[in-house]
Amino acid sequence: MSSDTTKLTRNFALGLSVLLLTVLVLIPLALVMWRSFTPHGDFELLGPLTVVTQRNLLEVLINSLLLGALVVLGTTLIALPLAFLAARTEIGRVRWLDLVLLIPFMTPPYIGSMGWILFMQNRGLMDQFVPIFGFTRSTFFSMWGVVLVMSLHLYPFLYLILKNALREIGGSLDDAGAICGGSFFYRLRRITLPLVFSSYTMGALLVFVKTISEFGTPATLGRRVGFYVLTTEIYRFTSNWPIDFASAAALSSVLLVTSMLVWYVQSVLADRYQYSVIGVSGAPARLEPLGRWKIAAWGYVFLTLLVSIGVPYFAIVGTSVMQIRGTGLVVDNLTLSHYAEIFRSGSLANRALWTSLRLAFSAAILSLLLGTFFAIVVSRTRGFFARLTDVSSLLSNTIPAIVVIVGLILLWNARWVPLRIYNTEYILVLAYTVLFLPFTVQYVKANLSQLGTSLFDAARVTGGTPAYTFRRILLPLIRSGMVAGFIMTFIIAVRELVGSLMIRPPGTETTATYIFQQFEQGNASLGMAMALVTIGVTTVVLLAIQRIPTTAEL
Amino acid sequence: MKFTRKSLTWLTVVMAAVMMTLALVACGGSEETAEESNVLVVYSAGPGGLANSIAEGFTAATGIEVDLFQGTTGAVLGRLEAERDNPNADVVVLASWPAGMGLYEEGLLLQYTDAANTNLLVPEWYLDGYLFGYSASALGITYNTNVFPDQPGTDWTSFTDPQFQDLVAMPDPSLSGSALDFLAGYISNNPDGWSLFENLAANGIEVAGANRPALDSVVSGSRGLVLAGVDYMAYADMARGEPLGIFYPASGTVINPRPAMILGSTNSPNNARAFIDYLLSDEAQQMVVNAYILPGRTDIAAHPDRIGLDGIPQFAIDWDWMMENQEAINAQFQEINR
Repeated sequence: MSSDTTKLTRNFALGLSVLLLTVLVLIPLALVMWRSFTPHGDFELLGPLTVVTQRNLLEVLINSLLLGALVVLGTTLIALPLAFLAARTEIGRVRWLDLVLLIPFMTPPYIGSMGWILFMQNRGLMDQFVPIFGFTRSTFFSMWGVVLVMSLHLYPFLYLILKNALREIGGSLDDAGAICGGSFFYRLRRITLPLVFSSYTMGALLVFVKTISEFGTPATLGRRVGFYVLTTEIYRFTSNWPIDFASAAALSSVLLVTSMLVWYVQSVLADRYQYSVIGVSGAPARLEPLGRWKIAAWGYVFLTLLVSIGVPYFAIVGTSVMQIRGTGLVVDNLTLSHYAEIFRSGSLANRALWTSLRLAFSAAILSLLLGTFFAIVVSRTRGFFARLTDVSSLLSNTIPAIVVIVGLILLWNARWVPLRIYNTEYILVLAYTVLFLPFTVQYVKANLSQLGTSLFDAARVTGGTPAYTFRRILLPLIRSGMVAGFIMTFIIAVRELVGSLMIRPPGTETTATYIFQQFEQGNASLGMAMALVTIGVTTVVLLAIQRIPTTAEL
Repeated sequence: MKFTRKSLTWLTVVMAAVMMTLALVACGGSEETAEESNVLVVYSAGPGGLANSIAEGFTAATGIEVDLFQGTTGAVLGRLEAERDNPNADVVVLASWPAGMGLYEEGLLLQYTDAANTNLLVPEWYLDGYLFGYSASALGITYNTNVFPDQPGTDWTSFTDPQFQDLVAMPDPSLSGSALDFLAGYISNNPDGWSLFENLAANGIEVAGANRPALDSVVSGSRGLVLAGVDYMAYADMARGEPLGIFYPASGTVINPRPAMILGSTNSPNNARAFIDYLLSDEAQQMVVNAYILPGRTDIAAHPDRIGLDGIPQFAIDWDWMMENQEAINAQFQEINR
């Protein structure tokens, strides 16, 4: 094959990916911005700002920022001691801890908050089992409860970042400090903390962005206590009478710009405060014995697990087997009828479950194809359009999901769009694909970055056709990334809430909208049973598919 | 993932370019061809169980499939408004008569004067072939009998008393059409009506969600009573064994006909007409009765376990006034309760 044809193919592939990403990602976002600058039809330079100030939405913006800051503080308080214990003491030898800590992070936040509400509310499970904590209720049903629940969801994330940072720094610098006579706190202050700082800021800013983008917890707990944030107001403006797309777009732009600013700050900080540590890679950190602190340290670990996993899951499981809510969790009141309802063929719950599985599967396949394509294009091309493909294929991982969804509504619900997929199930598949495309792109890119050109050169020299090279060399090497991307897309899409709520067509319920509605409409038991079934199904899928790459490599 | 400063600056430039292009391109439209399909799209306010069984009954009777979107009145109106450029629904069922009149005033409805059995409807529950009040709910005061063994209070104003502090809930009128009707009805009948809601707010009333969440907080005991909740939900929960009681203040309340309407933008007018006929049929009316809702037809008796239409004291209602003022009233209520 001549180099001209190769170049032509490359340009065609690049053009196609730019076109696809423009339609899928860039136009929807541009529409959000455009709509926010034209609140009354004409272009106004300060459009979003006038909307935010005129309609008393400033409070909502401040709430979002405040929540972000407090959740950063909350996750730090929980994760820092835990990361230190796991990186530097004998607790680090316990393998299951990191796995268990994935549970709160992998539990959808709306389900976690529902668990907390069911536990804390008047005559809820707390009153039945640990009434001495009743005094915490009024504090919980306020902004502080939202902060607590969101911190308990996000801390594992900061924990992993901090733990890895603390481990990587290694023991030798610390040893050097100790040999020179530095006390424990002196070494902490002058050696460990400065070195951890850049990782911490990265993690903290990510937590901040994740918090202000989050919809599930504010929509369940926040709305109940009258704590309104950007995401819940955007939802209200787009889905409830009186509808106001101009305000929704304005708030979306504000949210978009805020999160972009945070990314910007993060990149500046990462550039400036990156220490290069010379020659420490050899010595891993010592895992010190705890001695007399053993009980206190383990106590802290178990308390964290109890509060972040025990409480919500106890409430979710407990509620799902309750016959009549008013009676509480007693033997006479136990039933499995809610689970039977979910598995009864033809019931609304059963249909919702199958719909979610079907849509998530379709979206996972579509992301697999598109994501792999984009990743290969990015790795094989250079220049402006290659970077455009790179950035825009990862974009929806960076910006709040609700902003993407508002963009999709503005685009696909418009009169001038020829492809009429709005109000069909295709729009949900499209939304899930756009939202979770970055997983596949990232994983496949990670695979590709490890490959040199020598294998492909060898294939060409020995006369392999492009199709043969692709099938026998490239595909096997990126398979693990493709599978990982597929799994992530599938399990996240199965219980995706905000997009499903906002753009589901009539007659379509997904697991998340079903759980949300049952919780709002009083049948919390049925909702919680569905939540557990969904979590169970995704876990089974995760465990089952995880075996495939290992066997395929053999 | 990592973003460098350079790529952010970059992205901004690209986005600006895309916006400019869009601004130039965004015009023109496409026309749809009208053809009658075998699917009817129905947007219906709750209760979900009734909406589903009516849809299933209709499909069984006519063979026409129903795509049902079920939500609160606020969510249904929101969806209609969001899809104004791109209408999708054929039939709309709301839980608020003035909200239905709003659609009528905007000229969004299709007239159907030959519907069956309209002569049997309560006369005020029928608007000239546009609005069909196929059922109705009354707004009462529902209380948890574990919290209050005897009927708490007698009138709406009883619950501003400190003994009810943090015990009262009410559905959010921006979500619940019936609560909005009660609010407007109360304000129009009581010159000093707003003081009640100000005092209730000061007494820690919980306004969250539509009817179901408000009642749920009473069923679970987290609140003691709910004001202006739809009565059929309470009766249905009582039948399930939940510890509830209900009463209607003698000073009056709002009885809320629930209108079904055909949208003018429908592509399936014949199917839509058949749906209206079905709603007013004996079969569908009996489904209404079984859901503890007041039937629209006068010749069909309400459920024996509930108080009928005649037993409920009513405010004098001016639907036109309510329709014109409901948006302002909702705004003022939200202001008080935020």
